[in-house]
Amino acid sequence: MIRQFFIVCLVLFPFIGLFRASPDFQASSQETMLQTIGLIFVLALVNVWLAFTLAWWLMWTESRLKPWVEWLVFLPLFIPLLASLFGMYLVFAEVGLIGSRIGVGLALLMATLPYSIRLAYNGMYVIGRPMLEQSLGLPPFKRILYVLIPLFSGSIRTIILFTTVILLSQFALVQLIGAGLVSTVTTDFYQTYAGNDRSRALTNTWMLILLPLILYIGLGGLSTWFVRRLKGRLS
Amino acid sequence: MLSASVLLTIAVSLLSVVSLLFLAQGARGTDWMTLWMDETWRDSLGITLYVVLASTCMSLLIGTWLARTVSFRQWPFVSRVLRLPMFVPHIAAAYLFLILFSGQSGGGWFDANEPHYVTVILTYVWKEVPFVFLMMGVTYEQVNQGYRDMARTLQLSPVQQFRHAELPFLIKPLLDTFWILTAFISFAYEVPSLLGVTYPKLLGVLAYDRLSTGLYLESSEPYAVALVWTVFVTGGVVVSYMATHRLRRRIERGVRR
Amino acid sequence: MTLRLVQLHKRFGKTDVLDGVDLVVEPNEIHAVIGVSGSGKSTLLRIISGLTAADRGDVYWRDVPLGNLPAHKRNITILSQSTLLFPHLTAGENVALACPRKNREEAERWLETVHLKDRYDAEVHELSGGEQQRVSLARALAARPEVLLLDEPFTNLDPRLKYELQRFIRDLVKELNLTTILVTHDREEAMLMADRLSLLKDGKVSQTGTTDQLYETSSDFGEFVTVKGRSLPATRVIVNETSGDPVVLKRKLFRFGQLFGEYQDADGTYLILPSLERYEVDETYYIKKKEE
Repeated sequence: MIRQFFIVCLVLFPFIGLFRASPDFQASSQETMLQTIGLIFVLALVNVWLAFTLAWWLMWTESRLKPWVEWLVFLPLFIPLLASLFGMYLVFAEVGLIGSRIGVGLALLMATLPYSIRLAYNGMYVIGRPMLEQSLGLPPFKRILYVLIPLFSGSIRTIILFTTVILLSQFALVQLIGAGLVSTVTTDFYQTYAGNDRSRALTNTWMLILLPLILYIGLGGLSTWFVRRLKGRLS
Repeated sequence: MLSASVLLTIAVSLLSVVSLLFLAQGARGTDWMTLWMDETWRDSLGITLYVVLASTCMSLLIGTWLARTVSFRQWPFVSRVLRLPMFVPHIAAAYLFLILFSGQSGGGWFDANEPHYVTVILTYVWKEVPFVFLMMGVTYEQVNQGYRDMARTLQLSPVQQFRHAELPFLIKPLLDTFWILTAFISFAYEVPSLLGVTYPKLLGVLAYDRLSTGLYLESSEPYAVALVWTVFVTGGVVVSYMATHRLRRRIERGVRR
Repeated sequence: MTLRLVQLHKRFGKTDVLDGVDLVVEPNEIHAVIGVSGSGKSTLLRIISGLTAADRGDVYWRDVPLGNLPAHKRNITILSQSTLLFPHLTAGENVALACPRKNREEAERWLETVHLKDRYDAEVHELSGGEQQRVSLARALAARPEVLLLDEPFTNLDPRLKYELQRFIRDLVKELNLTTILVTHDREEAMLMADRLSLLKDGKVSQTGTTDQLYETSSDFGEFVTVKGRSLPATRVIVNETSGDPVVLKRKLFRFGQLFGEYQDADGTYLILPSLERYEVDETYYIKKKEE
C-alpha cells in the first residue's frame, strides 16, 4: 500500500504547479483553436483509418512483401523525427508545400502514423485471428459496425490520444513546415513559454492538457453509448 | 478500397525515406573534417549522448519494473494513474518541470536550466515511463505466466527465474522501446530548448537553431548532422536486430502462449 | 517422508474452491486426485508447490509445515500438460538449467533416462509433442525433487502416446522412489497409474483408498454391470466363454497385467473372466485368447 501511494505521488507531483492558475478557454485566438481542433479531427480520422486498414491487411495477407511492408511502416519510429523533418522541409520546398496546411498536415501524419499502426497492429494481435475470422462472414459495413468498432474501441481511443498529444507537442514541425503561416495552439503558446508571463503560460499548459483529456473522456462516453445502441438493435 | 488505403500508408511511410534522401542532398558540400573539429558540435554530441542514455535507460528500467509489479500485484489504480502523463504534450510537461524546479516561484531546489540537463532528463523520464509501461505491460499480459511458475518450481533462484522466464520475452519489446525512445529523445527540439542551457545545446536544438537562424541559412551543416545522427541511430537499430535475430526467432517459434 | 495436507482452504471470489482438504500421501506412492473441471485440483497442486498461498491450513512434508516457504525452496516440481520448455534454450540446456550443478553430463544422463540422449542440442520447436513432454519430465526430475506433482500431463497427447508415457512415467517414478501426486479428471488414467486415489468433490476429499478398493466399492470410480439381475462390480473381465471368441474391449482399463472393464459381446451375454492367464491384450486394446 505504501509503495502504491509513493508511486502515485511521484506521478502526480509535477502537476502541483498547474494549480496556481485556472484554465482559460480564451487563451488562444479562436481561429487558431478552431484550426487546431480541425487538424486534430482530420488527423485522428486519417490515422485511425489508415492504421486499421494496414493492420487488417498485415493480419490476413500471405504476400511475400509483408515483412518489407512491416519494416517500411515501422521504420519511421526509429528515425529521429526532427531529422526527417529537415529532409521533408527540402522535399516540400521542391513541391511548394511549405507554408501550407496540407504540408503541415502531411508532416504531422508522417509523425503520428507509425505509432498508430503499431497500436492498431498490437490491438489486432491481442484479439487474434481466430476471433476476427468469425467476423469474416459479415458484409464489410456490418463487420466494421457490429464487430470491429466495438472490439477495437480501446485501441481507437488510444490512437486518437497519441495523435492529439503528438500534434500538440509539435512546435518545431509546425514552425518549419508551416513557415510561420500555419499556426496551432502550440506555436501560439510557445511564445509565452519562452517569455516571462508565468500565469499566462500556466493557463496555456492547462489548455494543452485539457484538450486531449476532454477528447479521451468524450470518446469513452461515445463508445459506451455506441455499444449500447448496437446491443439495443440486436436485442 | 483496402488496397488503396494500404498503398496510401506505404506512400506516407516512403515519404520519410525520401526525406532522408533529400537530407543527404542537403548535406552535400559539407566539410566533414571541419564539422568534426567544431567544438560546438562535439560538445553537443557529448551532452546528447549523455541525456539520451540517461533518459532512455532510466525510463526503460522504471517502466519495466512498474509493468512487472503492476501486472503481478494487480494494482489497477496505479495502472490508471500511470497513464496520466500520456495526456500531457511534451512541451507542457517541460513547462510543468520548469516551474517545479524554477527558483523564482517554484520549488527552487536547483535552477531549472542547469548545465547537467537534470530537468530535461527528469521530464523525459516522467513522460516516457508511461509509454514504456504501456509497451511492457502488453508483453507481461501476453507472456504465459506458467513459465515463471515453472522456473520457481524448478528451484531456480529469483535472479535465474527472471533471466529465463521473463527476460527472453522482453528482448523484442525492450529493443523496440529503446530505439523508439533514443530516436525520439536524441534529436528533439521542444523540451531541451525550454529547459536546456545555451551551451552546450542538444544536437536537435543546435541543428534547428542553426537551420532557422539567418546567419546559417545557407549552411549544410544542420542537414549533415541530422543525416549522420539518423544513420547512427538506424545503424544501431539494424545491428541490434541482426545480432538478436536468431535468438528472437528461436523464442518466437518455441513459445507457448 | 509423508506429505500431509491439513484443512486446506482456498476461496476465489465467493466460491470456496477448497473447503478443508485433508489428505495423506504415503512415502513413494503415486496418489491420484480425481475431480471434475473446476473442482480445485490444480489449485491444490499450486498450494502444495508454493505457487499459491492457502487461505487456511498447511502442507506438511516430513511433519514440517511448509507454510510460507517459497516455491523455489520446496524441492517440489511439477509436470503439467503445457510443457513450457524455455524457448531460448535447447532441449538439453532446459534440463541442465534444472540440474543442481547445471552441467551437460548430468543433463545428458537425464535425457538418456527419457530415451532422448541425442536430442540435447535440439531447439524446442524441433521437438514433437511427446518429445517435449519427455524433456519436460527429464527437467522436472533433474531438479532432484522429493515430491513430483503431475498436473494432467497427458491431456494434449494422442491416445497411443498417452498410454506409452503413462506407463513410462509410472515405472520411472517408482524406480526413483518419488512421492507423486497426479491430478486428473480421467478415472482410467488414475486407475492405470496410481497406488491410491482420492476423489475431490465440493472442495473436500470425499473418498480415499487403493484403486482396487475404490473400483469395487464406489460407483464414483468403478463400473458396475448387471449380470442375470445382479449388479456386480466389473472388476473382472467379462467375455463370451461359450464361444471363446476374441472380444473387442469397449472400455479398457489396464493396470499392468490386471484388467478392469465391462464388455459385452454381440448377443449381449455376459460372462465373467476370472483371470487373464488365458488371454492377452495387444497394443490396440483387443483381447484375444493366447495361443496354446
